Amino acid sequence: MPGFSLNINNKQYSVEAEADMPLLWVLRDLLDLTGTKYGCGVASCGACTVIMDGDAVYSCQRPVGACVNKKIITIEGLSEDGSHPVQIAWQKAAVPQCGYCQPGQIMTVAAMLGKNKKPSAETISSAMSNNLCRCGTYHRIKEAINIAIEEINK
Amino acid sequence: MNKVNIDRRHFIKITSLASGGLVIGFMLPGMQALAIPAFDCEFFQPGAYLRIDKKGKVTVFVAKQESGQGVDTALPMIVAEELDVDFKDVKAEIAPYGTLKQGEHDTGGSQSVLNMYSQLRNAGAIAKAMLIAAAAATWNIKESSCAADHGEVVNTISMKRIKYGDLVCQAALLPVPKKVTLKNPKDFNLIGKSEQRTNLKDILTGKTKYGLDIKVDGMLYAVAERCPVLDGTLVSVDDSAAKKIPGVIKVISYKATGAPMHVRAGVAVIASNIWAAIKARKLLNITWDEGKKNKESTEELFKTFAAKAGAKPQIDVFNKGDVSTYTGKNEITATYAAPFLAHATMEPVNFIASVKGDTCELWGGLQLPDWTVNTISKEFGFKKENIKVNLALMGGAFGRRLHFDFAMEAVKIAQQTDKPVQLVWERTDDIRFQPYRPANYHFLNAGFDANENLVAWQHHVLGTPVAYMTDGPGAKEAPEMDGADQGFCYDVPNVHTGYTPVDFNINRGWLRAVDICVNTFPVESFIDEIAQKLKKDPLQFRLSMLENRPDFKTGDGPGALVQSPARVAGVLKMVADKIGWNDKRKPNHYIGLATHSFIFAKSYAAHAIEIELLAPKKFRITRVVAAIDCGLVINPDGLLNQMEGGLAFALTQALKGEITVSNSRVIQDGFFSYELLRYDEMPPVDVYMIDSKEEPGGVGEVGLPTVAPALCNALAAAGYRPRTLPIRNEGFSWV
Repeated sequence: MPGFSLNINNKQYSVEAEADMPLLWVLRDLLDLTGTKYGCGVASCGACTVIMDGDAVYSCQRPVGACVNKKIITIEGLSEDGSHPVQIAWQKAAVPQCGYCQPGQIMTVAAMLGKNKKPSAETISSAMSNNLCRCGTYHRIKEAINIAIEEINK
Repeated sequence: MNKVNIDRRHFIKITSLASGGLVIGFMLPGMQALAIPAFDCEFFQPGAYLRIDKKGKVTVFVAKQESGQGVDTALPMIVAEELDVDFKDVKAEIAPYGTLKQGEHDTGGSQSVLNMYSQLRNAGAIAKAMLIAAAAATWNIKESSCAADHGEVVNTISMKRIKYGDLVCQAALLPVPKKVTLKNPKDFNLIGKSEQRTNLKDILTGKTKYGLDIKVDGMLYAVAERCPVLDGTLVSVDDSAAKKIPGVIKVISYKATGAPMHVRAGVAVIASNIWAAIKARKLLNITWDEGKKNKESTEELFKTFAAKAGAKPQIDVFNKGDVSTYTGKNEITATYAAPFLAHATMEPVNFIASVKGDTCELWGGLQLPDWTVNTISKEFGFKKENIKVNLALMGGAFGRRLHFDFAMEAVKIAQQTDKPVQLVWERTDDIRFQPYRPANYHFLNAGFDANENLVAWQHHVLGTPVAYMTDGPGAKEAPEMDGADQGFCYDVPNVHTGYTPVDFNINRGWLRAVDICVNTFPVESFIDEIAQKLKKDPLQFRLSMLENRPDFKTGDGPGALVQSPARVAGVLKMVADKIGWNDKRKPNHYIGLATHSFIFAKSYAAHAIEIELLAPKKFRITRVVAAIDCGLVINPDGLLNQMEGGLAFALTQALKGEITVSNSRVIQDGFFSYELLRYDEMPPVDVYMIDSKEEPGGVGEVGLPTVAPALCNALAAAGYRPRTLPIRNEGFSWV
């Protein structure tokens, strides 16, 4: 089986996997980084979102073979202790219900704010509208995004 | 020393509960505290619900299964209130399966707070009384000279204080009091104030382990291909290509089961990783025998409903007065319909099973673990005591995990391998093979006297009952009539409601807000429609039939519920007031109202929804106001989150949620075809709580039923009365 060297959360990992195995399953099954969630496997829900070279990407759509030499951040590596401004905003707005989709939501927002500290309402809508939340916490996600924007622009 | 006779089996059970620590003072029903003459101890655990360690940290064992509804916070708050500890010193853990009475783990019907409130207050008060007794003995003063305060006992004479943590080993030696005094609710200082979820930080850092995140030593993974038609059988499978995928260990097949869970015949790929199993599954070449019921369609089903709707209901449900006096004179009739729906939890169902000889160990999220164990015991022949269950946190449930078809499948698969196996449902499986919320159809008829007073109400509900699946055809519990039965809240002198079951060959199950949601849509639409036809104000028309009606019971038996039309009116008045019902509407803006009683959870909720009509049948939801009266509120922020989220869940149903069937196969297979509400579609919402001193009711489902009718009533005010959910099918569009 081929081997791959991956940079995840500023740490180098070696994994043996079929080259077509999506990053999602590499993270979850081979590296036990289960904070990244499986929701659909077909880029329809956003639960598996991670940050790759600064972009929010669906880890279910990235074969491990295409992840070498990329800088990958998962929810576990967004901060050491939950102190990333987006995580703090999520805490202040008390967003989660079941919480399952929230790592994907948080990673999407973190990537968006990493590129643009003052996104327009349209930018936010378009970034967020592919991250589903069945519990329906969108109202609070909106509030948390506003809190995060305010915080990083202080 | 307090000696207790305790048999060996109980002793083993008790010590095994301790997960390494010594359990002192563990109480089984009818038993005094178990006293062990040590004088050190690890912690104090007076009963199944809480434990206090020597640092004064409290662990509450949560009996109800967490799936996002917040029981992991509301239930510990109740304990902490009576125990008088700071909530920061409290953590929640899932009560291990087997430590509670049968049924106590059951989670559904918005019953968790309702069922646990008294028990958990009592548990907190017992622990506090024992800590106070220990302190009193230390100081050699009367217990009445002691008080509890923020995790300490205070000597009210000397004003000295001892921390709970320093008292636990002494408290553990004391007898468990049979009777304790509970706080006067006016002295509550935790209940009624918002607390953050106990596992919030873990969720936000990705540390939370849901069922799908559990790894058991040596575990393999399985995905399964299932017969596309319920109750079909496997004819043959060619797995030669699938087996060539690296990581695949074997391919096995299993048979269908009937009631209660209707596991489909399946072929499972077992592999060392999920990806290998997913890839190999696609290469299976399977021939199924679909059986004879493989031509059913929702198109035909709704034609059947429509054909039977005008006839007499097959089952009479509620009769009051005599509707026949008015039938045929001065009538309004209407029909409404709603489709099958899927739960679509974000965490697809999954389950781990390990079978070794005559024992079986299970890991996963279950809303009804006792029924699961009892059924697995019966179906597979394991003795109940040989089935070990490890309950897991759920990434959403909404009723999906009341059903345990996936757990039975996991056992069937694990029986054919010597290692633990995690069965993972892919999203396509989740949408195609659900226990679906039943499709339903309604025929309503209203009769009036000469003065245009509403004097007769008839409601014929036609549906594909859940009970036909769980209990078999002809099940007695077929009528799904909550919201349209004896609890019908409007004061109409003559009422007749009834149900006609129609069988259909896909599995059905309970979905969040169940038949109250199903029946509130037609009831609240029709009331509004009547008001509109009579040119009466929809608010005043409802209030005239609610406000002066006293509370009443739905029957005489022990299962009878109390209906409070005044509280139904109370939430309605609240939303009308807050949205400005009597104010002049802005141009092209329309408001719809709906109210209801979520009767079996003792809660009441209403919605007022304002839309702006942008073009014919094209609208924007500009404002949503919700009000809830659930009695005493435990955790207000948790309640708000449920109501806000409930709005999103219900808007999915109102706008676009629909499962359709052709050739006995579900057409939708994922989120592209079974669409959920999205971030940019969430309207602004304000939630108001009625200040109430009534016993606490449930909140998890209460925010759903009035959303669709309030929206539809707004559209009707704009000139377009929707009759079918989702309204997208009637040509409505929204921005």
